[in-house]
Amino acid sequence: MGESDTPVVLVVEDEPDVAETYRRWLQSTYDVRVAVDGAEALSVVDDTVDVVLLDRMMPEMSGAEVLREIRDRGVDCRVAMVSAVDPDFDVIEMGFDEYVTKPPVRDELFDTIEGLLERADLDDDLQEYYSLVARRSALETEKTQSELAASDEYDDLVARIDQYREIVDEDLGDMASDTEFVGAVREIMNDQGDGL
Amino acid sequence: MSVYDIDATLPDGSVDSLPAGTNVLITGPAMVGKRELAFQLLAAGHEEGEGVLCVTTSASASTMLDEFDRRVPTLDRDRVAIVDCSGGDSQQAIREIATERVSSPGDLTGISISTAKLVQRFSERDVSNIRHGLVSISTLIQYINLSTVFKFLHIYTSRIEDTNGLGIFTLDSTSHDPKTVNTITSEFDCVIELRETESGRDVRVKGLPGVSRSWQKFE
Repeated sequence: MGESDTPVVLVVEDEPDVAETYRRWLQSTYDVRVAVDGAEALSVVDDTVDVVLLDRMMPEMSGAEVLREIRDRGVDCRVAMVSAVDPDFDVIEMGFDEYVTKPPVRDELFDTIEGLLERADLDDDLQEYYSLVARRSALETEKTQSELAASDEYDDLVARIDQYREIVDEDLGDMASDTEFVGAVREIMNDQGDGL
Repeated sequence: MSVYDIDATLPDGSVDSLPAGTNVLITGPAMVGKRELAFQLLAAGHEEGEGVLCVTTSASASTMLDEFDRRVPTLDRDRVAIVDCSGGDSQQAIREIATERVSSPGDLTGISISTAKLVQRFSERDVSNIRHGLVSISTLIQYINLSTVFKFLHIYTSRIEDTNGLGIFTLDSTSHDPKTVNTITSEFDCVIELRETESGRDVRVKGLPGVSRSWQKFE
């Protein structure tokens, strides 16, 4: 995130009119930065950027090449591809987190950004959920049923597990969507160093 | 589709169908027949036009295909798909059924992309009721840390739930400490435990409303 709590969105778009439209739509909600081509995008992208809206077709450097470089550098951000071509499965395989069909409508762009911001919390929330479940398993393995029934710590854990499961499921979004499903798995694999 | 039929797979009077969106874990010691039971549960709906999508971590795709062929004499090869991360040679199976290969069981991103592709292939053929297998979780735990496997299982079971599928997973309960088994188990709606005793094999089903939680003979 940027210095304040306002999420940072980097728009990478070679057509000035289109970039300006996005900026107008988004600037009251996000800290919007604009790059006019791949080279500029790569010079400004860093861990303060939360979401990149990356045009697929740009002169010089394509969206796919920019994405690969962002991933190679291990920048902690989510990248949505903006494409006039109806996206196929290759978008997922290339490692994009989401895609938007060009020209996007305003609400669609917001939904995409909000979905990606929620997904950014997924790994931390799942980690906390896992720690709580593991702790409960430890108690269940060590203690008898009657000890558990009398344990405030156990009651508290069970309540927090329920609470975190809801948070995680909110982060996950709609798992019937192929891109959201693969994106969620990619998110938890980033820390492993071998995520795409 | 609101239920998946598992007719006559488990002992009489226990369970004969599972609600769509259910995720089942089969646990027990090595050699007790977990994989066998998983195949039975996966194949049980084949004649109703359902699809089977199985992720295999140790057996090759051709071994898997043989297993399904043995159980379903009229196997429709268009409704069987395998994600093979065993590293085994599966040229023959690749020719016969939809197979995606992933280089290692530790590549969970690759596994998820492959399953999504195969589901898409099924939907192009109007196969929407899919039984998803993952054999086995124990291999995943050998390749990557437990917390990541746990997170993946949470995501993958949510995926199966949100698409109204049926999930069948296996875990070797004697390869891991009780705490690990308990942690993994807690992610599943239903757990089928198998055990071998002096008088033969037993089964116990947990987590289904109205179903007895006691051990029953299971030959």
